[in-house]
Amino acid sequence: MRLLNILVIGALILAASFVYKIKFDSTLQAERVAKLRGELRRERNAIAILRAEWAKLDTPGRVQGLADRHLALQPVKSSQFDNFERLPERPPAVVPSPGHDPIGAMLAPVPDTTGSVPFAPR
Amino acid sequence: MTTNHGTKKNLESRWQRVLRSLLYGHDVDRNVKAKARLGLAIVAFAGIFSIIALRLVVFATVSEGHGGRRSVTQDAVATARPDILDRNGEILATDVKTPSLFAEPRKIIDVDEAVELLTAVLPDLDANEVRERLSSKRGFVWLRREITPAQQQEIHRLGIPGVGFLTENKRIYPNGAVVSHEIGHVNIDNQGIAGIEKWLDGQGLAALHMAGLATDQLQRPVNLAVDLRVQYALREELIAAREKYKAKASAGVIADVNTGEIIAMVSEPDFDPNNPREANDPNRLNRLTTGVYEMGSTFKALTLAMALDSGRVSLSSSFDARLPLRYGKFEIHDYHAQKRMLSVPEIFTYSSNIGTARMALALGVEYHKAFLKKLGQLDRLRTELPENAEPLVPKHWGELNTVTIAFGHGLSVAPLQAVMGISALVNGGKMIPPTFLKRDRAEADRLAQRVIKPETAEKMRYLMRLNVEKGTATRANVPGYYVGGKTGTSEIVVGGRYSKTKVLTSFTAILPADKPRYLLLIMIDEPQGLPETNGFATSGWNAVPVGAQVIERVAPLLDIPPRFDLPKADQMLLVSAKDSR
Repeated sequence: MRLLNILVIGALILAASFVYKIKFDSTLQAERVAKLRGELRRERNAIAILRAEWAKLDTPGRVQGLADRHLALQPVKSSQFDNFERLPERPPAVVPSPGHDPIGAMLAPVPDTTGSVPFAPR
Repeated sequence: MTTNHGTKKNLESRWQRVLRSLLYGHDVDRNVKAKARLGLAIVAFAGIFSIIALRLVVFATVSEGHGGRRSVTQDAVATARPDILDRNGEILATDVKTPSLFAEPRKIIDVDEAVELLTAVLPDLDANEVRERLSSKRGFVWLRREITPAQQQEIHRLGIPGVGFLTENKRIYPNGAVVSHEIGHVNIDNQGIAGIEKWLDGQGLAALHMAGLATDQLQRPVNLAVDLRVQYALREELIAAREKYKAKASAGVIADVNTGEIIAMVSEPDFDPNNPREANDPNRLNRLTTGVYEMGSTFKALTLAMALDSGRVSLSSSFDARLPLRYGKFEIHDYHAQKRMLSVPEIFTYSSNIGTARMALALGVEYHKAFLKKLGQLDRLRTELPENAEPLVPKHWGELNTVTIAFGHGLSVAPLQAVMGISALVNGGKMIPPTFLKRDRAEADRLAQRVIKPETAEKMRYLMRLNVEKGTATRANVPGYYVGGKTGTSEIVVGGRYSKTKVLTSFTAILPADKPRYLLLIMIDEPQGLPETNGFATSGWNAVPVGAQVIERVAPLLDIPPRFDLPKADQMLLVSAKDSR
């Protein structure tokens, strides 16, 4: 009987500490959720502001002003368009291409490297 | 003695018996009783503890919900609105969160100090007004709506008790005045006051606001039919035109004739929706929907379509235009008088008032009236925009009215209404109510009503094209785009009489004329004659060249390829006749 009582008391203490741990964890989690929610809201607001700003920077009026100042482009004339059907055939090559490409042959043995990175064996 | 003793004993035992029966009952085994009582106690305690446990669960869940509700009130007071996008997804209106400053006067300790500190940070704040507000006994007062984050920081650092911030949604229109008349604007509480914004409130958003539920940032955006780039180009050309011709106002519409979508709509002068005060100026109202005008010769297109559609007039019929048409004390003249018999195409290209009037008279007043009714020119045109105007229809419609209305005087309609009517004349005879929202072809076909025969529409396209090749609209012949069109110049009524000098010019163009996709209407209110227009102020000298510039600029944006192998107008009719056979 006494043994049983001791066991029960032990179980009670275990259960209590376990519940306490769960409670503590859940508080932590709840805090995290609240924090993430706040962050989400902030991010969303920031996105809304950035979208509005982008829309403002992207207005045709502003782009036109920049184009007028920095580019030498002119409005397109209808005569500058044409159909694909009216595109002439590619003219035949004036010099018939030889069977092999002498310059290409010279390039071929050079391994694939960029100019800045020295060639290193892999 | 014994009896006495005996009664005493009896008494005692009776007391004991009563007590015993109250406590234990009198013939029950004590052990059984104890067990039963223990059971009762267990049930009672179990009940109490389960109630406590349930309450705990309830508290746990409720506290969660409580936190959520608090964040909502923090979120927004001026309620959220969905974004408005153009047909390509460019933002026309969006919400941005801004802090607003409020105070709870009951919690403020030193009003004078608070006023001093606040006016130091916000110098444009009226000190007397703030003092008055803070001294009131109310629980909540706004001090300043929409402050900058920097100002918020500063005020926060002052640490005035009873002063706080609320995040509100502020409506932003990144394109300023470019699309002003279509989207309208909102008030400080983010409620729609005009245009599509007001329409949105009518679509259930207002009810959401009332319930305080419209806080979700993820409301579905609204796609308008307008193309921002086309709108911008049209607006720029119209501003230039208004300056060049020193006009009172200029306006323009580009509509898709097959779906009824309004691709662009500009009425100059307009306003910046970010500054709604401008919108109240009556000079800045939208002339295309809230104004009614006598459309002048543009209406001749309707008269000719009616005549051709009746079957009693063909393209080869001719009408007498040798003498001015006398009607009572009125005399109808032609502006480009030819003084001879005119065929139907000639009536159109010379824009003959006499010819059109005779044509309408030949068909009769009732027929004329019924045709205009069918084309929606006599009833108020309702679109998504809350602003609209009732056409001015003569109360007693006699023959004289038919004569003048035939060439566009005596009946005032909203220009958008005329756009709808003429679209129906050229798109194959289907009348489609115009819309400012995106609409696909299938939906437009469902809404469409047949008003004239397809053959008549064919002839109208031919006439419009012919008018650009050798009529009043030759300046609109942009190479490659096969423009068709009709000009209109109407005299403005000043003090009850038609003015000779003040005119309203318009140009209605269709492109491409052989298979129209878009209709363009340009209107210029009171243009002045210039040296380079030889002093003329009629449509062909101002509205038509403006239209040509707009077409050249806008056609590539509208995905209309230029073609250079197109037939003359006369051949166009032959080709289409051959096709249909």
